[in-house]
Amino acid sequence: MNATRFLFHTRSLRLPLLCVAGLRNKSLSSGPIPLHQFLSSDHCTRRCLCSKPVFRRDPSQSEESQNKPDKTLISYDNLFERAALDSKNKATFSHVLDVFKNKDIRRRGHVEFIYAALKKMPEFGVEQDLAIYNKLLDVFPKEVFIPRNFIQRMFNHYPRQQECGVQILEQMENYGVLPNVETKVLLIQIFGKKSHPIRKYQRLMYWFPRFKHVNPYPVPRELPQDPVDLARFSLHRIAADLNAKVTVYQMPSSDHNEDGNLVCQPYIVGIQSPDQREVLAKHRPNRPVFVEGPFPLWLKRTCVYYYVLRADPLPPEEKVEEPVDPERNFFYPLELELDYDRDLGDDEDFDVDEVEEGPVYAMCMTDSGDRDTLAKWISGLQETNPILGCTPTVFRLDSGPSEVQSCTVSDHPEIEDVLQGQKMAQ
Amino acid sequence: MFCVKNARLHPRTIWHFTSYGVLPIRCYRRPGVPPDNTPPWKKIDFNFSKGVQGIKKHFGLLKKEMFERFEGPQGRPMREIMLEQTRVVWEFRNQESLEQWVVSSDEEMGGKSKIYLRLSRNNQTALLYGNMCTEVPKDGETRYSGYCTLRSKQLLGAFNVKTHHDWSNFNTLYLRIRGDGRPWMMNIATETYFQHQKNDMYNYFLYTRGGPYWQDVKIPFSKFFLTSRGRIQDDQHPLWLDKINTLGFTLGDKADGPFHLEIDCIGVCNDRAHTEEFAYEKYKKNP
Repeated sequence: MNATRFLFHTRSLRLPLLCVAGLRNKSLSSGPIPLHQFLSSDHCTRRCLCSKPVFRRDPSQSEESQNKPDKTLISYDNLFERAALDSKNKATFSHVLDVFKNKDIRRRGHVEFIYAALKKMPEFGVEQDLAIYNKLLDVFPKEVFIPRNFIQRMFNHYPRQQECGVQILEQMENYGVLPNVETKVLLIQIFGKKSHPIRKYQRLMYWFPRFKHVNPYPVPRELPQDPVDLARFSLHRIAADLNAKVTVYQMPSSDHNEDGNLVCQPYIVGIQSPDQREVLAKHRPNRPVFVEGPFPLWLKRTCVYYYVLRADPLPPEEKVEEPVDPERNFFYPLELELDYDRDLGDDEDFDVDEVEEGPVYAMCMTDSGDRDTLAKWISGLQETNPILGCTPTVFRLDSGPSEVQSCTVSDHPEIEDVLQGQKMAQ
Repeated sequence: MFCVKNARLHPRTIWHFTSYGVLPIRCYRRPGVPPDNTPPWKKIDFNFSKGVQGIKKHFGLLKKEMFERFEGPQGRPMREIMLEQTRVVWEFRNQESLEQWVVSSDEEMGGKSKIYLRLSRNNQTALLYGNMCTEVPKDGETRYSGYCTLRSKQLLGAFNVKTHHDWSNFNTLYLRIRGDGRPWMMNIATETYFQHQKNDMYNYFLYTRGGPYWQDVKIPFSKFFLTSRGRIQDDQHPLWLDKINTLGFTLGDKADGPFHLEIDCIGVCNDRAHTEEFAYEKYKKNP
């Protein structure tokens, strides 16, 4: 009896020694331990996000410090950082998710892991990827959180997990990702039919399709990469006239001149519609035309700048009302002189004076907004609008309403540079 | 005799009557800012001349309100009110018209967006401009940031009595704006009865095209959906037009950078071709 007890005693003693020897072996091996071993070390307690530190032994420490329990801060963010050492893309992110899923069937600490993953998604560039969100939902253990009786249904069963599910869907909502059938099936398997995440999913699926096509001026998801194409698209957008024609006056190029210096030529893309050309032809040559800019135009998250060629409005004494040609339209008279005006009940105009603004003759977009480039644009326009040859052009650059002014507004000094058309033509 | 000192910093305390006592309803308090425990009598500014001015102004308004009834409701002839198809509610022709509007941004929460409102160069339009920054303030509570708003002030009558806009003859909101391509959101806040409805707002999107041309925008009131504190609600109902408190514009499109919006006029009109009562379903969505 005593012998067996002694045997048991030594056997029980041997086990921790073996453990320590095992750790020693691990610690003596050089280099960082692979990810799956890192996760599977069984002396880790619950890990949390950076906000709540957890103390555990770092196995890569030296042998002497094994005897004193060492305290280092480890968090789930560290997993993603270690994965990010290779490259930050969808494959590494899903690898981290797979590693976590395969480590433990009970998925201990999955809520904190999912919150950390949601935070790291923009870094890995996967925040718009629906497959990754479905994979992240897959991390939840299935059928555990479904309430099984009326008491569980009453009392917000597993509130932390439900809140976590709602946060995943909220991140999808923020980035504009619409869930699909797989998401719905996963949510029902995990939380049941009447849970908060399913309600959130139902709200997404109700409101998102209603607001998808509400924009009367939609911007395509992928904007053209080529700057000339982007300029073409944005000029068509602001021209507000389907007859407007885009002309590329200069393509972007960078050449080396004789001295070996890099000379970059910015692109110049302009737009003008036939109506604008008509109005410009009637412009009086003694009044100057202004080149104003740069004005910002936002397309989703990118901002492009455009310049405008316009003139000041004529003072009221010089305005000439041209008689409307009755032969323009044979189907109905363009002007009617009646004895009675429209009654108040039929008057659909607003009782507001129209804002007096000069006509806009043309728009352009270019890379660099200096006077030389814009002068090249004017000379290009001159080919189709010969009146620009004898009209003084004034450059009012940096005078758009885009600048942010914290103190009282003062008009920026106009950069007046009167370029005679004849000099340009030479 | 009494003027409230700087009403923006010390909002009027609203008392919430519950079964367990009377509690003050506090407005948003920025995390890290100590609670404002000044007693209410300290907030009143006892200044004689200002008090006299106030009395004159309010009695003048009261007199005007009493005598304008003889001409018609709200001082306008009955024929106009019954027959009008369009009404210009706000136009920006002088500096006083800007006094009716309030700008705010996420600087109140600790963010870094800036917004300013001024009359544009030709004194005929209002220019709303600023810089949007989506950097989240580091107070541990806030998760999203980056918004700028322009909101009209509540209409006040004699002795600061709340009055409302009555747009029940109309069904479309008309705006003449010139934006820079950014999507804005319009908010209409109506007069409510219960304290739970305090943050109720009816919203709709306002998409700008950008460019040098003016943009005429017509939004029917049937398209406005109900939200509360930025969350769209499940039980939707159409916007009631008889007691409208404020109209607002919000920019929150998560793009960092400068923005501008020029507003020429805001009006309401009666679009006879628009027969839709409400654009969304009214049935109970969580059975």
